Amino acid sequence: MSPRPHLSIIVPFYNEEENIRRMHAALADAVTPIGVPFEMVLVDDGSRDRTFAIAAEIARSDPRVRVVKFRRNYGQTPAMAAGIEHARGNILITMDGDLQNDPRDIPLFLEKIAEGYDIVVGWRFNRQDKLVTRKIPSRIANWLIGKVTGVPIRDNGCSLKAFRGALIKEIPLYSEMHRFIPAMASIAGPRIAEIKVRHHAREFGQSKYGLSRIYKVLLDLMVIKTVASFADAPLRWFAALALPSAFIGLAALGYAIVDAARSGGEFSLPIAGSGVIFLASAAILLSGGALAELVYRLGDVRDARFVRLTAENSARAAIPTVETHS
Amino acid sequence: MTTVARRDLVSVIIPVGSRHSDIGALHADYRAGLAAAGHACEFVYVLDGPNPAIADQLRGLSATGEPITVLSLGRRFGEATALMVGFERCAGDRILTLPAYAQVDARDIGTLVDALDDSDVVVSHRTPRAGSWFERLRRTAFHNLLAFNTGLRFNDLGCGARAVRRRVLEEIQIYGDQHRFLAVLADRHGFHVREVPVRQSPLDRRAGVYRPREYARGFIDIFTVFFLVRFTKKPLRFFGMMGVSTFVVGALIVLWLVADRLFFGHSLATRPALLLASLLVVLGFQLFALGLLGELMIFTHAGQIKDYRVETIVGGESDDQQDGTSHL
Repeated sequence: MSPRPHLSIIVPFYNEEENIRRMHAALADAVTPIGVPFEMVLVDDGSRDRTFAIAAEIARSDPRVRVVKFRRNYGQTPAMAAGIEHARGNILITMDGDLQNDPRDIPLFLEKIAEGYDIVVGWRFNRQDKLVTRKIPSRIANWLIGKVTGVPIRDNGCSLKAFRGALIKEIPLYSEMHRFIPAMASIAGPRIAEIKVRHHAREFGQSKYGLSRIYKVLLDLMVIKTVASFADAPLRWFAALALPSAFIGLAALGYAIVDAARSGGEFSLPIAGSGVIFLASAAILLSGGALAELVYRLGDVRDARFVRLTAENSARAAIPTVETHS
Repeated sequence: MTTVARRDLVSVIIPVGSRHSDIGALHADYRAGLAAAGHACEFVYVLDGPNPAIADQLRGLSATGEPITVLSLGRRFGEATALMVGFERCAGDRILTLPAYAQVDARDIGTLVDALDDSDVVVSHRTPRAGSWFERLRRTAFHNLLAFNTGLRFNDLGCGARAVRRRVLEEIQIYGDQHRFLAVLADRHGFHVREVPVRQSPLDRRAGVYRPREYARGFIDIFTVFFLVRFTKKPLRFFGMMGVSTFVVGALIVLWLVADRLFFGHSLATRPALLLASLLVVLGFQLFALGLLGELMIFTHAGQIKDYRVETIVGGESDDQQDGTSHL
């Protein structure tokens, strides 16, 4: 058994039979000169074409390549998660399998990690995609994600990212969360750097993403916000929801009573009823918060793991810092 | 029983519930059907709820040298649970579940097993199928609803004759009445599911004895599967959608009432519509909060649940795992 690789490069593929060989060659050319032991983890996300056959062929001739084949198509986040799970390096780099990212940027990421950053994300400042269907929605989404999560990254959609292995392996990755890895990771308070990367137009194959994701991104954002920023005190979050409701309820009830006193016994049922409904809702929301506390106590996220991870990286602010470098 | 390699053995599991025909004749039929197809087999009868008469009859058959195991559950647990209990006690790599009453022509059950060669789950489709127009309508409605909800098109999930590879049942836990949806769940786990046409047994002529309770149960089953398949990892997509639409309806009514009050002077205090509006607004909030609670649960347990199933790992001295069965 060869020594553990220092660097793992994770590339998910879905129906990329034209690209996979070129991708492998480009990666080998770009990473070999760096001179660290590395491995490539190619994840075949249930492709229907010859992607797996070609990948397996590559793996047989190149011992640095591992291929993880899914039983069916699961999507990009599970593919990333599987790659991360099966990677053995100390530093993990993720990228797209469609050659739109340039492997020659990898040394820049390694430099940043060596400087002490935990996560380095790419920024496709010169993006080669369609303006209306890809670039503008992505601009809006990134702005929104930055505002809501408090991790202002210009390009969350760029797959080219580098992580410290110990950190990323602890981050829960599910549903369609790959876009939010930095935001998710912010629970652990990492240092995040952003660097400009090259971006090429697609030469072969079909682009697999469209406009329909906006609704999903919005809901995922809500989820991230809740789980990441209120991870320690879910009851507080539910209480924040319950308070306005309680306030409206009390105000309506009060109004109904005062009104009845003034007009001489004419009690307004609709207004008093609404007040009671809002008060009841506040009570249920508070109970929901208590339930959430319970869920957290029994879950495995409140472990000391994250605390330990940040402690290892010396004393740092729990607020993630993002620095941009060109 | 002669020694047969586990690979070649077909384990037949027959759950016996409240509805069953003459077991002796049925067993002989099934046995002849499988023997004609050239399969070595063992039979596991699972009595779902005590049934001494059947148990005695089966023991009698067993005494004559038939390869029969009889398991008896203390009370009724449901067909899917009975199947899982039978599965735990059977030895074959290929498992055939058969109904305890005539549904399919016994001459065709061999084809179900043969179809496992290039798939993991085989469900049967009784065709041509007898039945009144009302039953046909009911069946079509059920399968259309399922197809609409899950995107999977099947024609006869109610048929109890299914062939399954061992690894499928090792991975998927079914319980209660979920046996009907085994194919849907298996597809979800990335297994290859096939539907094979079989002839209907001439004895399978049950008149529609569906009571409203069974319709309600069927509907709830579909809902459960729909939820399991689509939203287990993203509850907010489901609750959020319902919550937001409820909230929006309520908010629109409030707006209308307020406008009415401000511009036309209709008093707010005498309008019952206000109650409806606040109820809807509050309900929307609650549903959304429920979705968030679901998300919290998944987030806190995300380390234990796995989204994906790995089929193989190739290369890179892949010493640790060679197949997906380690990903339970």
